[in-house]
Amino acid sequence: MEFVIELLSATMRLATPIALAAMGAAVCERSGIVNIAMEGLMLIGAFFAAAVALATGSPWLGLLGGVIFGGLFSLLHAWSTVTLHINHTVSGAIINILAAGLTRFFMVEFYGHPGSSDMVQKTLGDLNCAVPLLSKIPLLGPVLFDQSPTVYFMYFFVLFTSFLLNRTKLGLHIRAAGEHPMALETLGISVKKIRYIGVLYSGLLCGFAGSFLAIEYGRFFTEGMTGGRGFIALAANVSGGWTAVGSFVAAIFFGFIDALQLKLQVMGIFKIPPEFFHMLPYAATVIAVAGLVRRSRPPADSGNDFSIEKEM
Amino acid sequence: MDKLLTGLKVIAGVVGVVFWAASQFWGILLVLLALGIHMVQNFSRMDREDAVKKLKDLGMSAFYPAVGILAAIVLGGLIMALTGYDPINAYKAMFYGGLVKNWHISLLNATPLIFTGLSIAVAFKAGLFNIGAEGQYYVGSMIATWLAIRFSLPLGLYILAIFILAGLAAAAYNIIPTWLKIRTGAHEVVTTMMFAHIATKYSTIFVRNNGGDPAVSKHAYVTDAIQEANELLPLKTIIPGANYRVHMGVLLALVTAIVIWYLLYKTKIGFEIRAVGANKTAARTQGINSGRAIMTAMLIAGFLCGISGTTQVLGLEHKMYENLNAGYGWNGISVALLAGNDPIGVIFAALLWGILDAGGQYMARTTQTPSAVVEIIKGIILFLILAKYLYFWFGHKLFKGRKKAAAGEAA
Amino acid sequence: MKKALLLLVALSFTLFSLSANGGKETKEEKKAAPAAPKLIAAMATDVGGLGDGSFNDGSYAGLTKAQADGICEARVVESKQMTDYIPNLTGLAEDGADIVFAVGFLMADAIIEAAQNNPETKYAGIDIWVDPATAPTNVLGISFNEHEAGYLAGIVAGYMTKEYAGKSDRLNDDNVIGVVLGMDIPPCERYEVGFQAGAQSVNPDVKVLQAVAGDFADQAKGKELTLAMINEGADIVFQVAGLTGMGVIAAAQEEGTLAIGVDVDQYAAAPEAVLTSAMKGITEAAYQTIQSVADGSFKGATNVSLGIKENAVGIAPYHNFDSVIPQEVKDAVNKAVADIQSGKITVPASRAEL
Repeated sequence: MEFVIELLSATMRLATPIALAAMGAAVCERSGIVNIAMEGLMLIGAFFAAAVALATGSPWLGLLGGVIFGGLFSLLHAWSTVTLHINHTVSGAIINILAAGLTRFFMVEFYGHPGSSDMVQKTLGDLNCAVPLLSKIPLLGPVLFDQSPTVYFMYFFVLFTSFLLNRTKLGLHIRAAGEHPMALETLGISVKKIRYIGVLYSGLLCGFAGSFLAIEYGRFFTEGMTGGRGFIALAANVSGGWTAVGSFVAAIFFGFIDALQLKLQVMGIFKIPPEFFHMLPYAATVIAVAGLVRRSRPPADSGNDFSIEKEM
Repeated sequence: MDKLLTGLKVIAGVVGVVFWAASQFWGILLVLLALGIHMVQNFSRMDREDAVKKLKDLGMSAFYPAVGILAAIVLGGLIMALTGYDPINAYKAMFYGGLVKNWHISLLNATPLIFTGLSIAVAFKAGLFNIGAEGQYYVGSMIATWLAIRFSLPLGLYILAIFILAGLAAAAYNIIPTWLKIRTGAHEVVTTMMFAHIATKYSTIFVRNNGGDPAVSKHAYVTDAIQEANELLPLKTIIPGANYRVHMGVLLALVTAIVIWYLLYKTKIGFEIRAVGANKTAARTQGINSGRAIMTAMLIAGFLCGISGTTQVLGLEHKMYENLNAGYGWNGISVALLAGNDPIGVIFAALLWGILDAGGQYMARTTQTPSAVVEIIKGIILFLILAKYLYFWFGHKLFKGRKKAAAGEAA
Repeated sequence: MKKALLLLVALSFTLFSLSANGGKETKEEKKAAPAAPKLIAAMATDVGGLGDGSFNDGSYAGLTKAQADGICEARVVESKQMTDYIPNLTGLAEDGADIVFAVGFLMADAIIEAAQNNPETKYAGIDIWVDPATAPTNVLGISFNEHEAGYLAGIVAGYMTKEYAGKSDRLNDDNVIGVVLGMDIPPCERYEVGFQAGAQSVNPDVKVLQAVAGDFADQAKGKELTLAMINEGADIVFQVAGLTGMGVIAAAQEEGTLAIGVDVDQYAAAPEAVLTSAMKGITEAAYQTIQSVADGSFKGATNVSLGIKENAVGIAPYHNFDSVIPQEVKDAVNKAVADIQSGKITVPASRAEL
């Protein structure tokens, strides 16, 4: 029992940054913009979260800083894809290069050396709070409701994103921007504006995910600390069929296999090269995608450039 | 006369490319000559009005990238000046390093990128995103290393066999993701990326099992060297002036790009691939089997990544390293998109990438500019080269203002 | 359209290189004018780059220290990919460096090739072994006996986790310790093996957990592995994982257990949780190599293996734990140092020898 609880709460922790970014991806992709820049956006968010938290001593302000700068940086992706009509994947790749370069540059400017920042004394991780009553439920209680703040935020954003996409007018417009942008435009709604909103949403959530990594999960900013999670989030969104709840389930699945892999390594039951453990989450994802996902269809106009001049 | 010119054009082009590739910089002048002849030929066939119009178009289309590159250079220079580095010296070092001093490094950087860029371009033509090129690159490297350590045959026949087998293995690595795509619709972005991670993780184990085991080996974490007979010839065996590290793989990459161009635009299967990529439904009504076309494209994509890895192992490294941060598969994505998925364009995009990398290193070394600044400048340059709409955008704003003013006057 | 673009790209290449050619001449003139008598020491990092908190940073600190002492001028270049190694090592020599450091075992072939091409320049490879029989005489291989430092840290951990577990409320009675590796590469493995041997030498039943994060920069993985180890009863976790290891220290800090730092004294990262650190003197080794070039005592085509005997590896002061760690443990550490120096103990260096 102890083992299962530990395994599952590790799952939640590992899945949180992926799920947050995957929510962003769901909205962004549904609005028609492919966002492989999420890795870079997370990195920027992580850096500024740590920097603000270190400067002010407040983890909440750090979180705010991470979210804001993640959002600001994502506007670059929106500007280049929507306004300047650069290919989405290329823009994303360049933003990832820029993010790695900028964070490194700021490290040297702020802290005098590349690598890792000073330690954040007070982090959101220290504010671990069990939800009264709910955390008493056997098994699920300690797993789901005895976590640090961002995990709860993550639950909220899964519900919020799902609600936003399916139940609101804005969500309808976002989905239309990704499926039939021309139809939306003829209704007098600016596709550009909707796509800017979509990218910005993903930027804010990537900033959130980055903050989680830097000042809640960890206590430092370290270069390259996102470790490919932005891409995994993209994969989670695709295997989740471009929906919020599906993406969440995929993120949890990935987190679970990763947690299992780490646990098995530590327990040392299997004497095999550690690289086999490292492969496990990826192999499991392929199997899950092959077995579970049936003909999910990407938004029809996702990745396509949109300009009225061209359509007319 | 026309035939003579065509002949001259082809000879100048080929000789120019070969010598350029062999670090003889004046080769580019021959290539320019060939392009010039080509344009003269084209224009001489047109009447006056068309020619003027065409020239105007050419001028306009050249104008935007030129402004882009210039703007990038100014902006990057501004950043350097603001952070206390001398931008003029830094740029001098960057271009001198990338184009003259270390031109051979630019070439060596570009060679694997041409293959992986082509791979991604071919998949794109079929409407698929081969984001897992890195994994196929590793599979090719591993198979090539394994074969080249163990056996050898004279006359280079075996080298050919290694290329084919490694390419086929890498192509086979794409079968499952592609089959899943066709049968269940599982998105290739997820499956090929996961396959890529699996291959890169596995390469560590492979290296240890092939001479890199730290417990028994003096050269831990690197495989045994491949047999000398299996090494690709250096380019200087045919062109004495070439840098000793540049190998035949460079030429192979150029030839492959042309082959892929031919395959895509001049053959039936190429047409099918492009038709499926452009519009699956329309392709089906024309009687094209979209599954087969997609599978073919992905097999070719895998094959190209496989020979990319093989070229690196046989031509440059002669062994395989553990934890090598190659990234040729990932960077190939940017190269393909930079080139607009045009096989010939891939050559130039890969060269640009290689030049920025090699020049950036030279700049960092000689001017002691931190690598972070180099990366930022590289990003800006790529960004602004691509942002051709940026100038339309600014132009649009400008014209709008003027029109309004004019309208006001008229009123 | 496309052709125009091609033409333009080709043209701009030509123009740039012509202008760059012009630049080259003026540059060489400039270089020839003031002949600085000072030594130039340069280093090329491996693809890990500066900020790894280990080999690259340590070597660079040695260069800057020598620069501060007026021995040399320091230059550094960070390699981006494997193809950069040879041009960087060669280029640094061509730009006038007297001693070039190649950092990291991946540069083993590159350093030999660069040294052959530049016989006038001295080369030193950190964590590189050169074959004395075939290596050119201007190249020196430097490696460290990390396993000896790991051994000392293992002794401290082995005692504290069992016999003196009552000395701190951060320790428990489970007799389990752990080690987190960044990747399965030689220096990490040497630390790990030494640590295990050291712990078992004073506490034969101790259970040593081991795990590999697969990354040197992923704090979250380091933390999660440490939490898993703590759940298995580990109270002291040794991090050999570069920046990933910051997560190990963070986990120990939060869960109220202990961590052992690596390479440098990591006390400052978390004063209440870092028991000690296994250190190696990369900085000192680089500094001394520069000095040996300056005074002409540099000797190539050899390998130096720096360990406790050379005073190049060891463990950090105990800081906050100075009063917690009993004298017996400190004596045992000192005795091990003496025994290794005298050759009485040979610490295993690989899992095969363990």
